[in-house]
Amino acid sequence: MPNTEHAYEHVWGIFLPIAIVVFAIVIGTLIVLLVAGARRSRPDRRSEALPLEIAYAFVLACIAAFLVWVTFGAETPIDRLVARPSVRIKVIAAQWSWRFIYSNGVQVPDIDTWHPAPAYVPTGTEIEFSGTSEDVIHGFFVAELHYQRQVLPGYTTHFDLIFERGGLYTGECSVLCGEDHSEMHFALEAVSPARFREWLARKGARAREGSSAGAVDSTGRSG
Amino acid sequence: MSTVAIPSRAPALRTLASTDHKRIAGSACVIALVFFLAGGLLALLMRSQLAADGGVVTQQTYNELFTMHGSTMVYLVIVPVALAAGLYFVPLQVGAAEIAGPRVALAGLWLYVLGGVCMWSGFFTSGGAASASWWGFDPLSESIHSPGSGMDLWIFGVMLATLGQILWAACILATALRRRAPGMTLMRMPMFTWTMLATCTMTVFGFPALILALGLLWAQRHLGGVLTGGAGAVDYQALFWFYGHPVVYVMFFPFVGMVGEIIATFSARRFFGYSAFIVALLIFSGLSMTVWAHHMFTFGVLSNKYFALTSTALVVPAGIEYFDFLATIWQGQLRFTTAFLFALGFLVQFLIGGLTGIILASPPLDYGLNMSYFVVAHFHYTIFAGSAFGLFGGIYYWFPKITGAMLRERLGKLNFWLMVVGANLTFFPMFFLGAEGMVRRVARYPASSGWQGLNIVASVGSFVIAVSVLVFIANIVISLRRRRPAGDDPWGAHTLEWATSSPPPRHNFVALPPIRSYAPLLDLREAAEQHAANHPSITAAGVSA
Repeated sequence: MPNTEHAYEHVWGIFLPIAIVVFAIVIGTLIVLLVAGARRSRPDRRSEALPLEIAYAFVLACIAAFLVWVTFGAETPIDRLVARPSVRIKVIAAQWSWRFIYSNGVQVPDIDTWHPAPAYVPTGTEIEFSGTSEDVIHGFFVAELHYQRQVLPGYTTHFDLIFERGGLYTGECSVLCGEDHSEMHFALEAVSPARFREWLARKGARAREGSSAGAVDSTGRSG
Repeated sequence: MSTVAIPSRAPALRTLASTDHKRIAGSACVIALVFFLAGGLLALLMRSQLAADGGVVTQQTYNELFTMHGSTMVYLVIVPVALAAGLYFVPLQVGAAEIAGPRVALAGLWLYVLGGVCMWSGFFTSGGAASASWWGFDPLSESIHSPGSGMDLWIFGVMLATLGQILWAACILATALRRRAPGMTLMRMPMFTWTMLATCTMTVFGFPALILALGLLWAQRHLGGVLTGGAGAVDYQALFWFYGHPVVYVMFFPFVGMVGEIIATFSARRFFGYSAFIVALLIFSGLSMTVWAHHMFTFGVLSNKYFALTSTALVVPAGIEYFDFLATIWQGQLRFTTAFLFALGFLVQFLIGGLTGIILASPPLDYGLNMSYFVVAHFHYTIFAGSAFGLFGGIYYWFPKITGAMLRERLGKLNFWLMVVGANLTFFPMFFLGAEGMVRRVARYPASSGWQGLNIVASVGSFVIAVSVLVFIANIVISLRRRRPAGDDPWGAHTLEWATSSPPPRHNFVALPPIRSYAPLLDLREAAEQHAANHPSITAAGVSA
């Protein structure tokens, strides 16, 4: 399961404690050395300990190898695209708003980028996003999922995401894209697959009735 | 010596046209200080905007502020000042009478000044200064999205300054390789000279990529058809970061060298692990050319795993450098001067920058943290809380050599402690803001995010930094007005620049001591001590300092 949240939390849970321990060891050593060194009257004259440094470099290399192993293990599943995603959604970014297009033609555009209308996504299943841009580079960033992908003009980038919890996920553009970069927000509402299908069908029907295709969803956020 | 005699009664001409490497470097440092103050002022405006969550400047102005802040600090402050330190001290440290290619070095100064003026003149154009960030990345920097001459002036400014830096690097490299005094073998070069050798190698290899990228960008703006579509955007950034990652170490190594010299001097012992340190430095430089696309993990079009591997491998050389710093302090006889305090500040704070860098080198984490304030905090811990602390250490250490006058220690310590408080207050909260998802380069954030408190803390910190800088300038002014003469070697240092007068004469040395290690002056003192121990009747006073 390409769950970006789990991958992030897994790697973070290993990297952060190691970083804190390394910091504590270095600072602790430094303080001890400084206190001792402030009282010393004659400095030592030794200046090389090559075997010790080589052994130490080997330990460092082992730590680095472990970190890389953790990274690769976590990255492989989130970079992989599943063969049959349950939903495919196109993401089109343009200065300074987002559009989400579903396979039945339903569109959710952003009008007010500070309070964007949410695009619905089903929970607990793989969703394939295909992102592109109409002008400059934008960054599709959902902080809660700990995930972002840059979308480029003239190129479609594909990535899978899973929303485990229901509810509103806010997103923003993470790549500087011009004057109103700060305002380029979007929202994704994760609901149960049944509610998602119902929402999509209702929106699709409304779009077919001809009432302004791509109308902003106004059904509220009770999910 | 290819030097020109300039009448001593023409001080302006001496400053502008002297081919003395010490004058060129001195002018560069003064100009860099002016740009540092200007770039810092932009940062204060940005911090005011973020503390208030909008309302101080418009969004477009905000984009100009961070673009010019980043561009100024990287292209016009830290890189030039790092190279200027090399320009001044590499010839002295290797016992040379002159830099290799003095006129080329002078040309470098002119290109740097012209570049800086060119870049900043964008503020006087109708469309305002450049606003496409210090990366100037395509396609945002193309003529449809960034019309106006501010962007063009930025392109030319960066190209000119970068060309000047390449010239400086070439001069320093040639001096270290070809102008060493008799006895000064490569493995007897001081720490700082070694770090400059690595720095200048990266500069001459990496910096042309930036000039190429900016040339293509200019052609795209005015002719079109060069950087097109997604491929153009990726190509520009690959070229940019092929410059952009080595430059990160160009902004780091010289300060590592300064800190190494300072720690050895104020621990009153030989730098520990010299040969291991140099091997680590060379590995570091080599790896620096292989890690560039870790800035591009979130493109998803490059081989992330390869770049994650090379980036994480940096743990090994960085760890060896830290080991050698600590081992030098171990069993040392310490003197807590301002220079030493700044060196310690560098060690502690750079470590935070380095460790968070390892976190960002892991793509699953970078996917969540890239482009956020976590990254902003990370690189300010390396460049400001790290390198700039090393630089201040270097200034307190070398100011007596350059001017012949000591800086005031009490003001220096006030300068240091204010800087520690300011830097940590400003940049530590940004780790939390970034981990919570606040993206960088935004002029406003949602009121519901609850980020305003931490932003206010960071902004208060930035003003503490400003006060600290004012104390530093006051210290310089007072120390130059009421001079306390430094003498040749006020610190009991180890390297050749302290074996001549302060400031050094036009051709640096009247006579050189014998060079038998990377710490020739320490050798002399140790020999004298040995002599005194063998002949107790002769007083050893004055050699134990």
